[in-house]
Amino acid sequence: MKKIINEPVDYVKEMLEGLYIAHKDQITYTNDDVHCLITTNKKDGKVGIATGGGSGHLPLFLGYVGDGMLDGCSVGDVFQSPSAEQMLEVTKAIDAGAGVLYIYGNYNGDIFNFDMAAEMADMEEDIKVESVVAGDDVASADDTAATNTRRGVAGIVLVYKCAGAAADKMMNLDEVKRVAEKAAGNVRTMGVALTPCIVPRVGKAGFSIAEDEMEIGMGIHGEKGIRTGKLAKADEIVDEVLEKILGDLPHAKGDEVVVLVNGLGATSLDEQYIVTRRINQHLAEKGLAVHKYYVGEYATALEMAGFSISVLKLDDELKQLIDAPANTPFFKQI
Amino acid sequence: MDFIKELFKQLQDIMQENKDYLIDLDSVVGDGDLGLTMSDGFTAAYKKIKDTTEADIGKTIYQAGKAMSTAVPSTMGTLMASGLMEAGKNLKGKTELDNSDIALLFKSYFDGVAKRGKAKLGDKTFLDGLGPAVDSMNTSVSAGDDLKTMATKAFEAATKGFDDTTKMKAVHGRAAIRGEESRSLQDPGAAVATLIIKALCNSVE
Repeated sequence: MKKIINEPVDYVKEMLEGLYIAHKDQITYTNDDVHCLITTNKKDGKVGIATGGGSGHLPLFLGYVGDGMLDGCSVGDVFQSPSAEQMLEVTKAIDAGAGVLYIYGNYNGDIFNFDMAAEMADMEEDIKVESVVAGDDVASADDTAATNTRRGVAGIVLVYKCAGAAADKMMNLDEVKRVAEKAAGNVRTMGVALTPCIVPRVGKAGFSIAEDEMEIGMGIHGEKGIRTGKLAKADEIVDEVLEKILGDLPHAKGDEVVVLVNGLGATSLDEQYIVTRRINQHLAEKGLAVHKYYVGEYATALEMAGFSISVLKLDDELKQLIDAPANTPFFKQI
Repeated sequence: MDFIKELFKQLQDIMQENKDYLIDLDSVVGDGDLGLTMSDGFTAAYKKIKDTTEADIGKTIYQAGKAMSTAVPSTMGTLMASGLMEAGKNLKGKTELDNSDIALLFKSYFDGVAKRGKAKLGDKTFLDGLGPAVDSMNTSVSAGDDLKTMATKAFEAATKGFDDTTKMKAVHGRAAIRGEESRSLQDPGAAVATLIIKALCNSVE
């Protein structure tokens, strides 16, 4: 393991302490617990939006707490869910009288804890809570399964954007939930990994990817993908990923989409823009118009090398919400 | 209330004693942390309530569940906490328990876990250990068995349920990835269920 850290056990706490120093005008914490992160700019009567999940994915999840996006985030240990009680504390702090919407990724630990937190909020605090679970990864789709098997990955950022803008327009809880569900239902993601990642307290990688190979469809905790293959040219990788995404996302010629190109932690922006170039060619050939690109690191997997592509299909409402301004530590749009 | 405190003490002790047993079982099918989760979780639950002055048994069990969920927010920890919290909700207002209340406690535990985990009998989980024990308790209540007999019979039923998990195919968690291969394996969750009922037996000794 080669990381710039102090004691592995202090990894998350010290990361959070740094964030509160650098972004003190935008984020703070509640209940004397650095893992219970909330906005400094609470807006009366607005639906509060909370997210949460394990650490190791910055800017996900907490980086999107701020104006026009989220109001709070409970932060777990690396790749571990935060506790229901931490989620409850965030819920209490961000409720501004209009209820709270939970938006989080499709992982059992997170689901169990957010469900429990929602029950506690209702039973103990009389706060109305609704939940939207994002599962945008096409590589983990199993439509024969009884429950949604799709993991929540980078596409959740676009769900945050739409729902956050809806809440900012003072829509009510049911409406914000409807918007979040619509965005979650119209976004698809798939990624490719080139190297594994190392959980600090573990100290070594739990799997390996050969020097000349790539893992197509790998999850952001290193979950197995669809196949392992020889490392291909950027254009070929993009084509394979987009074929898979567009095969899963119902669309028609002339539809408008938003594209989010996401680095997994150790892939250069140079490479991400090489990828972006081919995405534009590919989508143009399919007759899809790209309304907006986001390129950079949005949902990482520690120091994993690789990238993911997310495609959100727009309608007039989502387009307007995507275009609304936002100002968070990691997402700024005028 | 003394009965509940004793039950949680026995739960703590039995999970600590069987930590390595659970780790070994779980290492075959899961990631091996079940022994730690159960030991840490039930220890936190007992710690929360052992000196409580609360008279309401339901509230006390709910608080124990909440303490567990905070101490061990992993999948299995949250499931066990959900069972306790559901039991607490359904026993709210009780200051003493008769045998039918004790049967209700475990029935609610079962329901809380089933609801949170979206699982059912036959899925090769914790429920396949606890479910037969709950059925046995309900039969005991109808038959008018005393508490010790009820607990002993429930433990036998839970043990049989645990043994029967070797005939089931896993549909949840990591074990499910193995598909048909998972069938011959013992389910660690069901083992936890037998330990919980064993703790009940110990608390009425």
